[in-house]
Amino acid sequence: MSKLDDLIDFKTGRQKRVIYSDPDIYEQELEKIFARSWLFVAHVCQIKEPGDFIRTFMGEDEVLVVRQKDGGVKAFLNSCTHRGNRLCKADHGNKKTFVCNYHGWGFGTDGALNGVPLEKEAYYNKLDKGKFGLIEVAQIKNYKGLIFATFDEEAPSLEEYLGEMKWYLDSWLDAMPEGTELIGTAMKVELPVNWKLPVENVSGDGYHLGWAHAGAMTVTSSLTVGGLEVGNTGTDNDGAVSVAGLNGHTVLAALDGQSGYGFYPDPTIPLQYLKDNRETVIGRLGKYRGEHLWGSQINLTIFPNLQMLPGLNWFRIYHPKGPGKFEMWTWAMVDKEMSDELKQMILDNVSRTFGPAGLFDNDDGDNLQAITEQSRGWRTRQMDVYTNMAIGGEQTRDEMPGVVSDGLVCEQNQRYVYRRWLEMMNADSWADIPNYNSLEEARATEGK
Amino acid sequence: MVQAADDVYLALQRELFHEARLLSAADYDGWVSMLADNIKYSMDMPQRRFIEDKSNDRAPKKTPIFDDDMAALKMRIERFKTGFVWAENPINSIRHIISNVEVFETKTDNEFTVYSIMEVHRSRLDAERKRLTAGRKDLWQVSETGYKLVKRTATLDDGVVLDSNMNFFF
Ligand code: FES
Ligand SMILES: [Fe+2]
Repeated sequence: MSKLDDLIDFKTGRQKRVIYSDPDIYEQELEKIFARSWLFVAHVCQIKEPGDFIRTFMGEDEVLVVRQKDGGVKAFLNSCTHRGNRLCKADHGNKKTFVCNYHGWGFGTDGALNGVPLEKEAYYNKLDKGKFGLIEVAQIKNYKGLIFATFDEEAPSLEEYLGEMKWYLDSWLDAMPEGTELIGTAMKVELPVNWKLPVENVSGDGYHLGWAHAGAMTVTSSLTVGGLEVGNTGTDNDGAVSVAGLNGHTVLAALDGQSGYGFYPDPTIPLQYLKDNRETVIGRLGKYRGEHLWGSQINLTIFPNLQMLPGLNWFRIYHPKGPGKFEMWTWAMVDKEMSDELKQMILDNVSRTFGPAGLFDNDDGDNLQAITEQSRGWRTRQMDVYTNMAIGGEQTRDEMPGVVSDGLVCEQNQRYVYRRWLEMMNADSWADIPNYNSLEEARATEGK
Repeated sequence: MVQAADDVYLALQRELFHEARLLSAADYDGWVSMLADNIKYSMDMPQRRFIEDKSNDRAPKKTPIFDDDMAALKMRIERFKTGFVWAENPINSIRHIISNVEVFETKTDNEFTVYSIMEVHRSRLDAERKRLTAGRKDLWQVSETGYKLVKRTATLDDGVVLDSNMNFFF
């Protein structure tokens, strides 16, 4: 048993509070989780033309994601190879050459060092420019419009990394023929919170909705969402599922095919869109996903830091900034086929519910900040916290992959997120990280 | 642009100060009574873009924080009134500070463009202090019951919001 094993108990759903505050644990997370996972870096719609770029983060490493002349995509550390200056300061844009502000080295969109001022006079023409190109990520890959990258060349393929989670992801990314796009730009908020807290929250915490968000639910609810009621007075265990055991990825889903628009004060237009396109979607995804997932309120979590909510249509990544801080970037993501009117309505709703002044988001910050702070005190940080709801409720279902439990109010998903966290923290290399996509596989690999 | 007459300037500055006091006191019913029914209340946050950037035209320009009509504003206010917004209980200290007020005439009689800068100070929890600044451009209209705010477009100065909620207005 490693020292880390004491931090998480998968069976009983216990975590030690130090995981939210300890600087050493955080340093290990950067190395063992962020530097090894496939991380979302860009949506294809953000970098359409050659030279289009996005500046983003992989863990705390700043990267530039750049569309190539041949249509491919590369990602580099956003750091000059001469003295290490930040190469590009803009959030996004288009460039033929990235020129460093410090001494003027110029890099092509392919990362090659092309221009060195005073190359002859100062370097006597002896600088081997081929050795000073920008540092590329180890692997980069597009899955249905979402571009992921990893610093680990030994990481499994993106397809294998996502595993059966693809079945759920496709219920949004592949529902409509033209796929998805992000609209607007990222709404960015910095929070004094450990990065794992929003991840576990959205991965499985349907329990907090009716209580923490009681005020927002009161004023926005127009359709029932998994039977959740204001004040946590009701929930519908049959109408929704929690799904985990998918290599750390999780799904929280109502199964009614419309509740994704439940927090729109007037859902008439989106409901009409669902009606008009349901047959198309059933044709592409089959009857079950077309009727029960498409249009439902669903929380999709791609371990470790990407979350998307079809229906509410938000798409979000968390960038860690130390044990007690992260940046949250939120976009509205829509089906390309949607009308401009509906897209605008969705953008408005995303910013109104989950933007920096979002009716829902503004309920979460204080709670997650307080948990972070309540993991610092000398006595407090020795305490445990629990996700021990619905233990023993795990099932296999014919109609969907993964480990399934009933209802949105269920802490199964958080237990699996922390199980994955521990698996990655304990592993010396990808060879030691188990691969599981079903209850049987999850059980066979437990504690291995 | 033509500067408004001094009496108009003073009257509108008085409105802005009054509005700021209502907002700081979370007197939202009082605030709504200062707004026209067709209010457009919006705030964006900036993006960091190169001046010469060629993709400016095809890339999205706005990152909205608020983009509200009266119904949306009332929805926000109703949320505060539910008594379930735990983050605002106990009450947090907040000050809305207004400065750099300029008032100009418009093409329409009795409508004025008003520029101002707002600085919001919040003191929360034990030692948590936040300071947010935004530039505002308003359209104010003279109605039978006095000046009404018809339109506000504000831009926050920060590219990343440095507060964990915005349970207030600008
Ligand atoms: S640090 Fe970039 S050119 Fe010197
Ligand atoms: Fe929440």
